[in-house]
Amino acid sequence: MKKSKLETAKSLANAHFQVEPNLKRIYLIQPINDQDPNDPIKLLEVVEGTIERGIEPVSFPADPARGMEYPLMIIEISPTEYKSIRTAGKVRLRNHDWTIGEELLAR
Amino acid sequence: MPATDEEWARSYAVQALSDLDAREKLADTNAKKCHRLHFLQMAAEKTCKAHLVRANGHNKVRKSHAYVARNLPIIARVFYPLTNDNNQINQWELLAITRLAREIELLAPACDDGDLRRDNSEYPWEGARGEICTPCEYNFPNIDDGSRTIIRLIKLIRTAAESYSRQE
Repeated sequence: MKKSKLETAKSLANAHFQVEPNLKRIYLIQPINDQDPNDPIKLLEVVEGTIERGIEPVSFPADPARGMEYPLMIIEISPTEYKSIRTAGKVRLRNHDWTIGEELLAR
Repeated sequence: MPATDEEWARSYAVQALSDLDAREKLADTNAKKCHRLHFLQMAAEKTCKAHLVRANGHNKVRKSHAYVARNLPIIARVFYPLTNDNNQINQWELLAITRLAREIELLAPACDDGDLRRDNSEYPWEGARGEICTPCEYNFPNIDDGSRTIIRLIKLIRTAAESYSRQE
């Protein structure tokens, strides 16, 4: 059975924590729009030592044949950058205004 | 009608695949290392741009060459399990790719780490003792383009480019 977006996001977060030692926190960016399969899962990843370039999402198309059921978007920022956006609780990019949602933890 | 960001993403991806094909032909014919690395750098940069243009817009990503160091490791981390029976990349390999991504970015003449790294795959530069260094006579000691890690990285770049080359 196809996983929900939230389940998929949790699996991805767990996998990313396993392989990226500098990854400190992952937040789900909302809304998740579970009914819209074309709307990507959006993860805000706080990585120590990453090059600071602000909000610059990297997008991945869905690839169901290879097990990637939904499009994915990763926004990687440094802990310093995270501090500067945490107060507002929002991620702004072009015509989007997303909310920093649930923190996804390593299992 | 202006092209959409989706169309730009596909175009960057298709050109990246063509750059990788050119790199392979050069490698098969024992071309100088600078030429092999030049096409690798171009393929890596365009693959990163394909994955950036959709969310950030073509206008934001078109001018800079400095996208590889930060974004190639993210791309490798996502695509590795898709091409390796759902196994995650090893930490040591991700660290090796992170180091290589920075070296690949520095191959572009415009990326010189604040004038600290003038070595690049295209144009001659002045070395530390005032000597002229010529790319086709330089051995690029920081990148072994025959290593197992870089061969696997090239495979990941190809897979990542293919993913957007197929998009409508």
